[in-house]
Amino acid sequence: MISAIYQFALTTGANRVIRGARIEHVCGDPGLGPEKDYAFGMRIVTTALHALTAPVAGPTLFDPMASGKEAEHAP
Amino acid sequence: MADPLRVVHYVNQFFAGIGGEEHADVGVSRREGAVGPGRLLEKALGKDARVVATLVCGDNAMNDRGDEALAAVGAHLADLQPDVVVAGPAFGSGRYGLACAAVCGAAQAAGIPAVTAMHPDNPGVAMGRRDVFIVPTGESATGMQAALERLAPLAWRLGRGEALGPAETEGYVPQGRRRVHDRERPGYQRALDMLVAKLHGRPVVSEVPYRAPERVAPAPPLGDLSRARIAMVTTGGLVRKGNPDRQVSANAARYHRHSVSELESLTPEGWEAYHAGYFNHIVNANPNYILPLSFLRDLERQGRIGAVHEHIYALPGVSTPVAAAVGLGRSIAEDLRLAQVDGCLLVAT
Amino acid sequence: MRLEVGTFPVSDLAFGRETRYERGRLEVNREAALAAVREDPRIATAALEIARPGESVRIWPVRDVIEPRVKVEGPGICYPGICGRDIATVGQGRTHRLSGLGVVEVSSVNWHDAGGDYVETYLDMSGPYGEMYPYARLLNLCLVVEPDAALGEESKNYAVHGAALAVADHLAAAVRGLEPPEREVFELRPVDPALPKVVYIWGVHSPQAMSGSPTAFCTTTYGLTQLTPPWLLHPNEVIDGALTGPYRTAFAMSWTVANNPLFLDLCRRHGRDWNFLGVIVLRTEWTTQTEKQLIANQTAKLAGMLGAGGAVVTWDAGGNEFIEVVRTIQACERLGIKTVFLTSEDDATDGAPTMLEPLPEADAIVSTSFFKNATLGVAEAPAVERVIGLERKAVHRGSRVGLHAGPDGTLPTAGPLPPPWRYDDHYGFGSLSCIE
Repeated sequence: MISAIYQFALTTGANRVIRGARIEHVCGDPGLGPEKDYAFGMRIVTTALHALTAPVAGPTLFDPMASGKEAEHAP
Repeated sequence: MADPLRVVHYVNQFFAGIGGEEHADVGVSRREGAVGPGRLLEKALGKDARVVATLVCGDNAMNDRGDEALAAVGAHLADLQPDVVVAGPAFGSGRYGLACAAVCGAAQAAGIPAVTAMHPDNPGVAMGRRDVFIVPTGESATGMQAALERLAPLAWRLGRGEALGPAETEGYVPQGRRRVHDRERPGYQRALDMLVAKLHGRPVVSEVPYRAPERVAPAPPLGDLSRARIAMVTTGGLVRKGNPDRQVSANAARYHRHSVSELESLTPEGWEAYHAGYFNHIVNANPNYILPLSFLRDLERQGRIGAVHEHIYALPGVSTPVAAAVGLGRSIAEDLRLAQVDGCLLVAT
Repeated sequence: MRLEVGTFPVSDLAFGRETRYERGRLEVNREAALAAVREDPRIATAALEIARPGESVRIWPVRDVIEPRVKVEGPGICYPGICGRDIATVGQGRTHRLSGLGVVEVSSVNWHDAGGDYVETYLDMSGPYGEMYPYARLLNLCLVVEPDAALGEESKNYAVHGAALAVADHLAAAVRGLEPPEREVFELRPVDPALPKVVYIWGVHSPQAMSGSPTAFCTTTYGLTQLTPPWLLHPNEVIDGALTGPYRTAFAMSWTVANNPLFLDLCRRHGRDWNFLGVIVLRTEWTTQTEKQLIANQTAKLAGMLGAGGAVVTWDAGGNEFIEVVRTIQACERLGIKTVFLTSEDDATDGAPTMLEPLPEADAIVSTSFFKNATLGVAEAPAVERVIGLERKAVHRGSRVGLHAGPDGTLPTAGPLPPPWRYDDHYGFGSLSCIE
């Protein structure tokens, strides 16, 4: 589940939560200009796909804006 | 003088004195009169009530061979014809709690009122609270006396055929049937009453008790993305341009399924957002923000995912009652399962 | 800050030769009241009609109900900032008000053009539907007003609200020089230091995220509606209208904000049951988790710096705005500030949870019942004899007719009508609640 209100998604029980940008533009950010917007959106989407391959025990956040190990943690 | 209240008490192998976990497979048996905590129960019920029999069953036997055990319990109850069945208290013991909830359910199905008691986190509460009267207790049997004192008046009233009032006033675990209720005192006064009580450290009863959200077991991870069929669902209110399907902007009662098999990307000429909960204009300029088709197509071409599923699913996720949302979600999930979809991205606004 | 409020109860309302108040009777010179409205070139048409309690009258579309108030002594003007009015800090001196009276803003203008968000409130002056709202007990002077059709949505909003305020100002001016029949002093006097210190955290919607405009029309603080950090207001500023203006629901109107019984009791019991420190206005509808949490943290921090030991929390919105509200409660509780939350509930069908994000820290909730009229089981409002406003009513989502928004969903206003989809008693006027 890709959501800008990711903590709420976690407390209410979604198991694989991907931090989206903002309610008005979840998978990207038009303020970045077309190229960076696309790269950012792609990072969100690939993080989501990675989450599908990750074993989780319960609600877990996957943060495309974090790097490495910080990217996954339970709330 | 009315006849004494006839009570049948259900306990597990431990409280019947048979033994612990090693005896949890013992089947249903019946003892005349009160056994173990049943004597305290009888005392709590007062002199006009009698525990006419105690039904005993091992927790494993009740949980693992439930049909058989419940049939045996049912046969005894048909024979005994009690006014009320009391099960437990089970406190924090999960399998005992589940057994108590199941026994109460079976008694009720046979037309005999029933009540049990256990800790609010006992899985028996999650299983049984919708149908069974459950008195909340502490986690351990040290709270036996207090639990029975709270349970006894409910057992009496149920046994005499009285309907119980709301959980909030009667003290049982809420059954999830919230309804409109006039408290005959304006809300602002009740709020300030509560504030004063809380400031002075007095107990307050919340009119909306906290309930932990439901947990769903996570789906197992995908093995190989490059062979996976990936679907997309959005609650961002995606509609075809001009909303020809006449979807609502809030309080959705249905979702729409669209084919994207011919599309590389969602264009503003073909799609837009119709959603009463956020500023739609940005999505209207690029609908891929709420349904990332363009990205998945690129990944499909690169071979990083197996395939983009032919259909997308869309509705506005705003103001839809949870019960309706659950139904819509189940229906989408079932559709995806039948289409042998491996993974799904849900974009929520 | 000391404010004396002089109240002029209105028990009779009629059109007459001169706008004047005498022993509870308010006479209104219709042309003089309308002249102030018609001065504004943005206004195309304007008319005044009276609706009295008990009459078979339906008013549609109702954007706002305003209680006329006027500053008699002290700086500034009542309802400051909104629609370009003066922004001098209010709350001192003397204010006169007309009680039992509403100026109703009746217009087809919608809030903004994003997201299908419509004006949906209609009011009945009699019958079970009408009696659910405090306005059916008021004498209502209805301004039926339409702006120049060429204006943008935002300009239309400010034009028609400005017109309603002009009428309210005209009425209130009639009691400016009179001796008030009732007087009450509001002042946060020093009190017994042993009394518990409390704040009121008053959540108000911002239309900024929905409309994409930082100046979109809605409930304002000194005229501002944009997403801003928490505001600390002296209660007297609120009494003078520093917080005013409508939002989408019938209980989020200028009149309800001005007469919020929770707020007024907090003021009146200051020094007796608690030490009331002030009002923290919490703007809602931030659109990222980070912003929502930041605003929750900062609101709680502000309450803590003021020394609050307790807080009452209300909100006037729905949906994701719940997150910053409930997380403010959580943040307060974590700072040791004891909270009480007054809120409506979502649909409970099939045992569904009625709090969007249930958090264990929100352990003292007062429920004002379900927020949707459909869940409340509110019956269709019966036909009426007279309509003030538009003859036809578009019927949108949540009602039995026209579930899809579209041109075909209209009904005669005078006929039986489904209730608007929201009820939502934000400030606990009524005693309805839920139980299980």
